[in-house]
Amino acid sequence: MEMETLVGQGREAINMIIDPDSFQENVVGDLKVEDESFGPGAVIGTASLNGEDVTVIANDAMAFNEKFPVVFAGVIGMEEAYKMALAVYNSIKADEDKPVDKKRPIVLIVDTPGNGPGKVEEIFGMNKATGSYQLSLAEARKKGHPIVAMVIGRAISGAFLCHGLQADQILALPKQFQTMIHVMPLTSIARITKQDLERLEELSTTNPVFASGADFFYQLGGLEEIVEQFDKMREKIISHIGEIRNFKSAGQYEKTGPWGRGLLGAEREGRAVRSKVIEQMQKEFDSVADKYISA
Amino acid sequence: MANWDDLQKSSFLESSARERALGLVDKGTFTEFISPIDRMSSPHLPVLGEAVEFDDGIVVGVGLIGKKPVFVVSQEGKFIGGSVGEVGGAKMVNTIKLAVDMYDKMKAENPDLPEEKRPAVVVSFETGGVRLHEANAGLLAHAEVMDQIQDARGKVPIIGVIGSKVGCFGGMGFVAAATDVIIMSEFGRLGLTGPEVIEQELGKEEFDAGNRALVYRTTGGKHKYIMQDCNFMVEDTIASFRDQIAEVVKISIDEMEGLRRIGSLELVEEQIKLVELAAKMQPSDSKDVWAHFGNEKPEELTDMPYDEFMKVVKRYPKQS
Amino acid sequence: MALNELQYEFKVDNPTTILKENYHYGVVGSGDMEVLMEKKDLGGAVKVKVVTPVSGFDKVWERVLKKFVTENSMGDVSLEINDNNATPVVVTMRLRQALAELVKEAEGGDK
Repeated sequence: MEMETLVGQGREAINMIIDPDSFQENVVGDLKVEDESFGPGAVIGTASLNGEDVTVIANDAMAFNEKFPVVFAGVIGMEEAYKMALAVYNSIKADEDKPVDKKRPIVLIVDTPGNGPGKVEEIFGMNKATGSYQLSLAEARKKGHPIVAMVIGRAISGAFLCHGLQADQILALPKQFQTMIHVMPLTSIARITKQDLERLEELSTTNPVFASGADFFYQLGGLEEIVEQFDKMREKIISHIGEIRNFKSAGQYEKTGPWGRGLLGAEREGRAVRSKVIEQMQKEFDSVADKYISA
Repeated sequence: MANWDDLQKSSFLESSARERALGLVDKGTFTEFISPIDRMSSPHLPVLGEAVEFDDGIVVGVGLIGKKPVFVVSQEGKFIGGSVGEVGGAKMVNTIKLAVDMYDKMKAENPDLPEEKRPAVVVSFETGGVRLHEANAGLLAHAEVMDQIQDARGKVPIIGVIGSKVGCFGGMGFVAAATDVIIMSEFGRLGLTGPEVIEQELGKEEFDAGNRALVYRTTGGKHKYIMQDCNFMVEDTIASFRDQIAEVVKISIDEMEGLRRIGSLELVEEQIKLVELAAKMQPSDSKDVWAHFGNEKPEELTDMPYDEFMKVVKRYPKQS
Repeated sequence: MALNELQYEFKVDNPTTILKENYHYGVVGSGDMEVLMEKKDLGGAVKVKVVTPVSGFDKVWERVLKKFVTENSMGDVSLEINDNNATPVVVTMRLRQALAELVKEAEGGDK
């Protein structure tokens, strides 16, 4: 069997997941992006998934942003991040009056190596763009939209923070498909922290906290499920949307999203100390809270 | 620990995380949570042979400003660059959560809760972002913080304060941008990518990370003030920051939304216009942008003393 | 490679304990350290734990700590230090500063 991979193939991945021929690019609710050269690294639109409207947001690693030269290979630059945020806010607007169980799902297809590292980006505040996209997703999630991220390629650092980590649930193809989930490669971590690379590699077999890869992220409660094959992506996304809807209809928002994954981290023991800190802090807070409430 | 009154006059830039936390709330009102006594240091650093700190480089707790409970998160840049790991991240996330929980409880008991009693959160950012030694845990914590910030909207104002040596970079740059109000001094810096990395990416010709003036023009307080990426710029004392915070918390929660730079469709649409300007201008230096917004002698702004700067500076004309 | 944990115990004549139940001082920056002091019933002894990434300086730590404990006639105190490669001069300075601040606060300094 050949080395199969979807790295760089965001648009292919969309087609594998959605109902055939249902993708309307650049259209989300009232939004119609006319300028095709706006944020070309980001693909947004509306599709049908199992018969219902979903918003799709993906990376196009084949695109080059002519206006912002650091943006290519799937990098999320300022235009890309704001375009993605537009897709989310317009999803919220379109379903404003719908009940929770009818809010359209948002499917994030993740293959991005990072955010735009450039001088113009710093001058104009790249951090605002990524922050915008994150906040829009958090808002959509809390309003009831089921948000599923499907990691098909690279899910790296700040780009994964905005395009993926705010989802209700995160799925990923396993390492065999060249997926990369990390803050930075172990070689860079070793160099910057002045640690021995072999030592880090050895340690990462028992402690998933800095190692790269879907299985490590799984242990940390960084993603909900590893999807073993391409042809399982569609059905898994659909079933997870259902699961998320059940949680939200029952008002159990804390079981999804970053906080839900925090709970998974404790359960799977990859992030065991986190919950101890939170528990201890609650105790200390409880013992003085009244003093501050009745000041 | 230094005397509160002495702290007020101290340089914010030179103050430790704990000094900032103590000094930004009313005298004697600060209760620290997960203090050094709890000894909740990083479980991941020792095996890498890295020194630990009892508070994991972040001070959290609650104090008062008037009758208002003010939750404080204060990052210590001297400890591994203020970077966020599992423990520190949990402290930060949970502080915001406790503030929101307190609001929910107070509001349930008193539906007419007066503004002056509404809890607030102050975050004194000093960080490069994710702590690489605990990379994945740090990254996940960043996502949790953003989630809590969205939970806090309309309930508990979150005020970002940036005036310390390391500045606020990496994933925390996104978090800072997402707060309601940002107060900086000219010595603070806010962004995503640090100067050394830009130099690596673009080469020294394009961006010399050793050129301090250039670095501050690109991400420093004065620049962010001009761009309206921060709301207020104050002088470098703890008292100056505290006074500005005290002023800000008088604003109603609805008016607070008006101080944001991101967080709604309208704000995104406005930011997109700024990005159009960036695409058109392709500025080689922030000074070009300063001139564009009406500053006739942009080169004079960098070294201009505070009072004069605040009088003459022209800012980006924000619409929403 | 891991952090080194050094343990010491000292006993001086006429020891006195510290004026507060506990006290913390310092920031673990590069070349610096923090100390957590706690009043403890140790039969007049002082126990010290030093956690440090640097190896081989056990005897140096012993000298510096013994001097500090002796010159201040300390007893029934536990000291916990997180070190990040602080020189003996810096260690001595920080310990002295910590004690001085503790005394100041105990005798009426404000928070």
